Amino acid sequence: MSAFELVTPRSVEEAIASLRASDGTGSAPLAGGTDLLLDIDDGRAAPARVVSLRRLPWRTLDWVGGALTIGSTLPLRSLEDDPGVRAQLPGLYQAVHAVGSVALRHRATIGGNLGRSAPASDLIPMLLALDAEVDLVGPSAERRLSVNDFVRASRRTALAPGELIRSVRVPESRPSAYVWQRVRLANDISQIAVAVAYSPSGRRWSVAVGGMPPRPVLLPEVARGLGNARPTDPALRAAGERATREVTIAADQRASEEYRRRLVGTLLGRAVRSVDVAEGVHR
Amino acid sequence: MTAASADLTVNGRRASFTALPDDERLLDTLRWRLGLKGTKEGCRTGDCGACTVLVDGRSTLSCLTLTREVEDAAITTIDLGAGDREVDRVRAAFAAAGALQCGYCTPGFVIALAGLLKERGRSLSLDEILDSLQGNLCRCTGYAAIARAAALAREAAP
Amino acid sequence: MSAATRSDLAVKLAGGAIYGTDLDLPGMRWAALVPSPVAHGRVRSVDLAPARRLPGVVAIGAEDLPSLLPGSGDADRPIFPTREVLYRNQPLAAVAASTLPEARRAAAAVRVDIEPLPAVIDLESVFPDWPGAEADRSPHVIAHVHARHGEIEAAFRSADRVVEETYRTASVHQVALEPHACVASVTGDRWYVRTSTQTPFGIREDVASLLGVPEERVVVDGTWVGGGFGGKGSSLLEPFALLLSRAADRPVRLALDYRQEFELGRTTLPAVIRLATAVRGARIVGRRVRLLLDVGSSLPGRDFATGYSIGFLLGPYRTDAFEVEGYGVRTNKPPFGPHRAPFAPQCAFAVESHLAEVARSVGVDPDAFRADHLWHEGDSTALGQRVGPFGLPSALEQARATAARWRAERPPGRGVGIGMGFWSTGTGAGGEVRLVLTPTELRIVQGEREIGSGSVLRGLVVVAERALGIPSDRVRVEYLSTAEAPYDSGVFGSRTVGALGRAILEASASLGATLAERLGEAGPVRLELTGGELIAVARSVRRPVRELLSPGELSVGLVANGRHFADPRKIDDSRVVTGSFYPYTDFTGAAHVAEVSVDRETGAVRVERYAAFHDAGAVVDPGTARASVEGGIAMGLGIALTEEALWSDDGRFLNAHLLDYRIPTLGEVPVPDVTFVEGFPGAGPFGAKGLGEPPIIPVPAAIAAAIRDASGAHVTELPISAERVARALKLL
Repeated sequence: MSAFELVTPRSVEEAIASLRASDGTGSAPLAGGTDLLLDIDDGRAAPARVVSLRRLPWRTLDWVGGALTIGSTLPLRSLEDDPGVRAQLPGLYQAVHAVGSVALRHRATIGGNLGRSAPASDLIPMLLALDAEVDLVGPSAERRLSVNDFVRASRRTALAPGELIRSVRVPESRPSAYVWQRVRLANDISQIAVAVAYSPSGRRWSVAVGGMPPRPVLLPEVARGLGNARPTDPALRAAGERATREVTIAADQRASEEYRRRLVGTLLGRAVRSVDVAEGVHR
Repeated sequence: MTAASADLTVNGRRASFTALPDDERLLDTLRWRLGLKGTKEGCRTGDCGACTVLVDGRSTLSCLTLTREVEDAAITTIDLGAGDREVDRVRAAFAAAGALQCGYCTPGFVIALAGLLKERGRSLSLDEILDSLQGNLCRCTGYAAIARAAALAREAAP
Repeated sequence: MSAATRSDLAVKLAGGAIYGTDLDLPGMRWAALVPSPVAHGRVRSVDLAPARRLPGVVAIGAEDLPSLLPGSGDADRPIFPTREVLYRNQPLAAVAASTLPEARRAAAAVRVDIEPLPAVIDLESVFPDWPGAEADRSPHVIAHVHARHGEIEAAFRSADRVVEETYRTASVHQVALEPHACVASVTGDRWYVRTSTQTPFGIREDVASLLGVPEERVVVDGTWVGGGFGGKGSSLLEPFALLLSRAADRPVRLALDYRQEFELGRTTLPAVIRLATAVRGARIVGRRVRLLLDVGSSLPGRDFATGYSIGFLLGPYRTDAFEVEGYGVRTNKPPFGPHRAPFAPQCAFAVESHLAEVARSVGVDPDAFRADHLWHEGDSTALGQRVGPFGLPSALEQARATAARWRAERPPGRGVGIGMGFWSTGTGAGGEVRLVLTPTELRIVQGEREIGSGSVLRGLVVVAERALGIPSDRVRVEYLSTAEAPYDSGVFGSRTVGALGRAILEASASLGATLAERLGEAGPVRLELTGGELIAVARSVRRPVRELLSPGELSVGLVANGRHFADPRKIDDSRVVTGSFYPYTDFTGAAHVAEVSVDRETGAVRVERYAAFHDAGAVVDPGTARASVEGGIAMGLGIALTEEALWSDDGRFLNAHLLDYRIPTLGEVPVPDVTFVEGFPGAGPFGAKGLGEPPIIPVPAAIAAAIRDASGAHVTELPISAERVARALKLL
């Protein structure tokens, strides 16, 4: 006896229909499974039907004029391996590399990471700082949402019943960095993480903080305080202090509120200083 | 259907099952249906790497993989006899470096490292290898001998 | 001789080694345990009927025991609690079914009614004002040990300075990667269990006493062991599996998943250590040591930990006047159990860190201060034992030279520190082996399994190799069940080579004497290999073994037995006020040097370099010895920096998984330099001392010293997390 029924549709339409057929709450899409299956084992999720996305044509990676479109079922390892990602979106490379282990990244996907929306996700803060968007396909229409609007809360997203993430779009190449504090270097969860990116077209910084509940957040005021491409030391310090003051911090068994708060400014400073705006690469 | 028939290709052999539950993990199919006990059950939460197998040459946590999801793939496990170039090379390196004690993590390490060599070959630096093996936990060796084995395996790559 | 010659390499690299978790017998049923939902409570009822209504399910609870048990069992240790539940997840009943999911569903169907009682989880909540005189009268205290010697009050009164500190240590788990697992098969009055264990005979004894079965009817057979580290040293699942097998009349497999491995594990629990040291000039004149040790739900009289731990809080330093007092405090957690060098690394961390602070307070270099007070051969331990050959002073000397070099070379932001620890080779009750010589090989027949350290497959083999001059690839270890193997107490306490090795020496001597007699030549006999045949050689006489054996011996081999049982040793009872303390068999130790970098903004610590100097007596097998040290260091780094079991106020193990209970990965452990300090023989074969435990002991102390040196952060609590360093640096 199986805890759920597994269906493996061959088309997007069929996948959407399969998800809807068990009236939304009783079904779950399956990409790499590295998060969903854990939740099923621990009883945190109990879908009657699991819809495998493995036959959908979404294991793609497309660069079009500086914009990157990542198919939702592309394994993270393939994203990490792309030379363009490493060169043009160094922060994204660092964030992907921070997820789990090599064997996990061979199966885990960007769509799964966003769709499961874990509070300590390493990808979401970086996608926020890159102003990334998600393209959704659903029963009635397709729509595009910013990652910021897509992620609602811990384990909650804007996905409607029957809706799937088709791809994630990063609008432009950006000098960027993702820095984290953890107990172990790998195979661990960040206690706190800061993602920063500089938009050459908009001549502005974006800053996001993650690694704790309820969800990763953008800090637009802090980013504005960084000013232009090369923040002065006082501006950077002020931004760090502002971040330390303003960000909503939660405590859990991985770190206290105090410790996380102390680290926000430090990690922000390190992240910004590690970005070489002129070269566009992480030093 | 929640327990339909299924086919799987493991170590070059085709295996068929008349009723395989949809929620069954690759780890359990290998160990309890095929009797391939070389792949070890450790944490079952993806954190220890003891259950690592290759799926189309890529290291994969068999505890977090549904068997049905890899029906079309070629699965390689430690139970594979001699003949796979990378697996054999890694085994030889582990033997030469004495890179095991209790041996429970060993299948996962051997398969993960062999997968890495298949994926990257000679272009891989030793630091990258060591960085890439952090998903495999070992409690006996302190990793020193495993690091020596990884260096040997890398040097032996064509 | 390299570790690469271990005979288990091939089978383990081919995936062919069968561990406890791999066991599978025809017709086998799968079992699951019914856990207590509370940490402390009164059992009102455990209703198995809903589980039994499920198809193919066999369920057993306390009520079924009289009909299943052949004898009355151990009244102190009921297999299932009938009145009081003592820790969360304590098994209340057990079920077996055709598949694991079915067994789990059946376990979940059992209706449990327990009246919750207040639970004691936090050790310090029991004694908020500790140390106070009330401790020994508390109902929570199940062990009290107290010893003193010399004019302690006068020493403290006349001191120039008294330094008093409190250290706290965390609960850490063995984390053998293989969770506990066994398969039992009861047929008639034969109680057979195959299990992954460090102590087949210990399991036999334990099971027999729990079930009330004569020992000879219990047969324990080992498997390959996927790591023990103390956690597989006594029975855990075997009694349940055996009773289920009896009830189901089929083989039954019972294995823990990794969450249960954490939740049910018997391991090191938290402790508070208070140390007060009186100094005059640069000399220690008095020490007061107090220990509050969480022993979980250990039974009164079964707490070995408290008295045993105290020794590690006094040594390895000369102490003219001292007073020690330790309390074993009962809490609603699983019973305390051994974890590689049980509690010794934690004690060494406290003592070494404290003495360094004492040294600083009187303006003396901490390493010199410790060197000045260290035991030397001929000194007396606190409890009046004479210290035998002891290489720690030499190890420290070498460590100091390395530390001086590293300090001179180090980049900014790094610190170098030294930590020490001592150990005494365990003996257990003792053990026997049987050597069987055939014309082509020598078999070592015994009941222990290789647990990974190499102590059986290398240690014992090399002892035989050296005793008889036989090539080691002609020595084969044969494992037998407890029904056929000679008795041995188990693979623990760094005892295997020391105790079983001496049994091999005795058997080898007896074998040699028989061969010499048959050769008609006095003197030592060596076994050489020529053309696949063993040749016995004594002086100038050489004859093939084949020609020396009788027809009967040619079919079963020439047998020689050897045994070694522990020598009695004594401490000076006049120094003991109350409680049990433990005498030492020999004196071994290590000095470790760590170089760390400390991130002064986050408190994060990275171990950059590591060197270990060990007195292991005469090293039996250098490759295996080095491997033991490398592995022990990594495990010690976990205790030092990252490992901590977190318990909620209601007794839940909060991080019962390998993501949040963090053992070191390959990225956190440097490859250490390992040096053996020779010339200080122990009582083992050829002067060997045990080396299973010593490598883990100095690690937290060395790391703490290096962090202190790098940053000034004096952290008095384990593990030394980045957050704790940050607090010590006043970043928070």
